[in-house]
Amino acid sequence: MTAMRSLFLFPLLVLLLSGASARFDDFDEGDDLVEFDDNDFAEFEDVSEDPPTEPPARTVTTEDDEDEATVEVEDNQEDFEDSETPDEDIYKYDAEEFEGFEKSNPSFNDPINILTVPSHLQNTWESYYMEILMVTGLLAYIMNYIIGKNKNSRLAQAWYNSHKELLESNFALVGDDGTSKEALSTGKLNQENEHIYNLWCSGRVCCEGMLLQLKFLKRQDLLNVLARMMKPACDQVQIKVTLNDEDMDTFVFAVGTKKAMARMQKEMQDLSEFCSDKPKSGAKYGLPESLAILSELGEATEGVMDNKMVHFLTNHADKIESIHFSDQFSGPKIMQEEGQPLKLPETKKTLLFTFNVPGMGNTSPKDMEALLPLMNMVIFSIDKVKKLHLNREGKQKAEKNRARVEENFLKQTHGQRQEAAQSRREEKKRAEKERIMSEEDPERQRRLEEAAQRREQKKIEKKQMKMKQIKVKAM
Amino acid sequence: MSDPRRPNKILRYKPPSTENNPALEDPTPDYMNLLGMIFSMCGLMLKLKWCAWIAVYCSFISFANSRSSEDTKQMMSSFM
Repeated sequence: MTAMRSLFLFPLLVLLLSGASARFDDFDEGDDLVEFDDNDFAEFEDVSEDPPTEPPARTVTTEDDEDEATVEVEDNQEDFEDSETPDEDIYKYDAEEFEGFEKSNPSFNDPINILTVPSHLQNTWESYYMEILMVTGLLAYIMNYIIGKNKNSRLAQAWYNSHKELLESNFALVGDDGTSKEALSTGKLNQENEHIYNLWCSGRVCCEGMLLQLKFLKRQDLLNVLARMMKPACDQVQIKVTLNDEDMDTFVFAVGTKKAMARMQKEMQDLSEFCSDKPKSGAKYGLPESLAILSELGEATEGVMDNKMVHFLTNHADKIESIHFSDQFSGPKIMQEEGQPLKLPETKKTLLFTFNVPGMGNTSPKDMEALLPLMNMVIFSIDKVKKLHLNREGKQKAEKNRARVEENFLKQTHGQRQEAAQSRREEKKRAEKERIMSEEDPERQRRLEEAAQRREQKKIEKKQMKMKQIKVKAM
Repeated sequence: MSDPRRPNKILRYKPPSTENNPALEDPTPDYMNLLGMIFSMCGLMLKLKWCAWIAVYCSFISFANSRSSEDTKQMMSSFM
């Protein structure tokens, strides 16, 4: 703001200065100070009215002295167009006015003149306060970035160190970034981001592979840190186990916090289609109240919730966000603009686990060890799901459900699929016509047109035949 | 307990394709990049210093939130 004002003031001042200096042309000696105040008042020497900006003391003396030493003042006036120091002369002649006044008193000779120096000409720190503020802010951001990055890195390393043994005893391949030619364990986490770390494990019975994602809070972003002070959040560990087709029976099951269950039922494609009931309280199966269950088949719930599982879940209920077993997993619902997608999304047999790291943001590397029992549970679940077999009833019910879902889907998209087929046919016709039009030779054109006409005739005849056949059959 | 490991059943890691699940991506770095560009243009055209500062901040935030797979050269150019 001050910068803007000074920008405007500066040309104004320049104009004034130039105007003032123009009147000094004839004046050779004298001070270098710009005294346009006195300059203006040169005209007023004879006039009794006071010039507004001059201090009253000086005007009084001027008038008084004029009476006593008019001649010399006027002489001075004639010689100099503008008397820069009329006061000086006046003071010289009127010794009565000032007692103890010495002739050569430079402080009085120099008239007091307070000029406003434009702020941008001042070279003090204050004129740069905006820049200093901004740079300090940037430095704070950079400091936070470095600290946050290091903390996240330490947490990830601590997690890996505590889980390494368990993983290596269960999986043949621990750590793979997909780029190396041979499938060798890198033994390291993949750093996707400053706050997301991946680990891919593979080579085990019952499963194709396991993807572990350490989703830390964005400690490296200062904005995020400040936002978290308003809304606390915690680090999460997400585990996704993909299973082979033969390793899992057909069921969809989920357990987790009530909030998470409500959210997932709306978001997840398979949960919304197969588990349409509201989440049931976990208390029925011996779980704490905070956990809720979404399930397609009651039998599946019974099978999964055996004693050991219940034991696990009860002990670590505070760390569990959600556990989701599904043979129809296809990710969250995809919102498409043109309505429903034309094909059913691809499904994969998956087990998903989301765990919250204890500490609610203020985690230390030691807290990572608390997640080890959860990892044990994951491994246990993999084996369990493999062994879990539904009986005949359950399988039939599951089959019916899946058929129902598919039928619904087909119905919904029927209209769209027809439209798509229609548009494809029209496209073909248009392409044909264009080809005919673009043919230079009129002969060739005629021949192509005839060929197209013949094809149309054939199609119509075919349709008529079909209709006849249907009629005959109906009869 | 028998060893559950099966070296013959190893599957290579395939980074999840981001075209299928746009909802999983974090849009923050892209938004911040765009905002930074807009503010820097504003600051340049209208000669507003505070615009330029905000642009610098935006580019910093975008850098902090970005994925490591993105080009570092792009980051540097965005700082400019």
